[in-house]
Amino acid sequence: MLNVYSTLETWWLIPFCVILLTGILCPAMGTILITHKRLLQVNLISHCVLPGLVLAVALGVSPSIGGVFSGLFGSLAAEALTNKKNENYEAIMNTILASSLGLGVLLIPLLGIRIDLESVLFGDLLTANLGDLSRTIISFLVFISLILFGYEKLVHIGLDQEGASDSGIKVSYLNLLLGLTSALVIVSSMSAIGVILVIALLSAPALLGLQQAPSLRVAMVRSAIFGSLISVLGFLLAIAFNMSPGPLVAVLCILLIGLLPRKRNN
Amino acid sequence: MASLIAENLTYSYSRQSHLVLDEVSVELKPGTMTALVGPNGAGKSTLLGLLQGRSKPNKGEITIDGHPLFDSRSQVALMPQRGRLNWNFPITVEGLVSLGRVNHSRSTCCELEAALQRVGISDLANRRLDSLSGGQQQRALLAKTLMTPSKIILLDEPCSALDPPAREDFLLIIRQLADAGLSLFISSHDWGISLNAYDKVVALDKHVLASGTPEVVKEKLDSFSCMHSSYCRA
Repeated sequence: MLNVYSTLETWWLIPFCVILLTGILCPAMGTILITHKRLLQVNLISHCVLPGLVLAVALGVSPSIGGVFSGLFGSLAAEALTNKKNENYEAIMNTILASSLGLGVLLIPLLGIRIDLESVLFGDLLTANLGDLSRTIISFLVFISLILFGYEKLVHIGLDQEGASDSGIKVSYLNLLLGLTSALVIVSSMSAIGVILVIALLSAPALLGLQQAPSLRVAMVRSAIFGSLISVLGFLLAIAFNMSPGPLVAVLCILLIGLLPRKRNN
Repeated sequence: MASLIAENLTYSYSRQSHLVLDEVSVELKPGTMTALVGPNGAGKSTLLGLLQGRSKPNKGEITIDGHPLFDSRSQVALMPQRGRLNWNFPITVEGLVSLGRVNHSRSTCCELEAALQRVGISDLANRRLDSLSGGQQQRALLAKTLMTPSKIILLDEPCSALDPPAREDFLLIIRQLADAGLSLFISSHDWGISLNAYDKVVALDKHVLASGTPEVVKEKLDSFSCMHSSYCRA
């Protein structure tokens, strides 16, 4: 009986930890992606996650592994398109993005499996479990490792990709690592905010964090602070008004955009 | 001190495509400022890429003090065109300049301070890059290039976006670097009085049209009866 009471009292703990970590991780990652002009590619990754996830469920493998693999495939496709400097690459990328999502949706009835599509796309934070939390922690650790071992190289690539390559940095290798980490972050945020709405949490806090930041490191810390505040606020409001936390956090991100300073026209 | 000699460089992007450079020869001596002028598509950036060792010529040879370029690539540094950089990246002048040695060794604060002093922007060290004027940004980029141990500095259109006073200031700074013994090879669209600031001019349009002192080159190009309208003086 006591155990039931204690479970009832602490049900919020795991969802809270998941949203807090996601609120820190996504904006920090988003700061790198915005400065590297790779946000559209990450949008592609997020849409590519679904087919792999569905296939993984059909094969009896962890959905996260399938999601990361198909996200990585999306990342490679985006990389190839960007490297070829195809003038239509934005249009092609958007087509692949929509097609991947369509493929994922079609595979569900074709493979005869049951997946709660709404919770994958838009999150289902209040039912987050230890598995979701450990997935978020793993993504967090991978992200921290990337920063610890590759920070200066990431700065050099973001500033001058050709110059970084000239000075001996393996740019394509690091871009691949960035794609892999992005796929992990997107899959890990599936339960908190969903693979589609995560773009809001990757972008809005980062835009605010980047304002006048003297370094990428400072920008990432600021973005993470804004992101965690907005995520926790969304979580609390969702509980108070019995709403879905993922969409609410995405809507709250609009408030951050409103805080951006307006450029004066001379 | 290092001398660079490039002889009969020929280059095309693929076997089928037309020649971008045809039998181009250049000599860069220590302590000199050489201008590389030519119209758009003349092959200026391609030539700088070859001299930097970024790509190999189809024909010809590049040596530094008698050694093949690929044995002494660290002797050559390139200051890229400003369009190549992401100027909105969150970084200070100090952060940018310290990247100059990212793969060579850890830069000491003295080296960093010296590079900033050489281009006259010590007071801007903590300013964010996108808060600087175009001239100050170019100086910061030059300071980053000076962090390398290279004695031959290639500058790809460093004055293209600068107003005349900023351009003059920049030319004064690179003159001081040349006087300190560096070899500077500067590509430019300038065709006028500012060419007099250089010791030597190489006029390029896939092949070398003229080479020598600014006066000699201007005379030679004028005698081409303005075949290349971009070289004609008003």
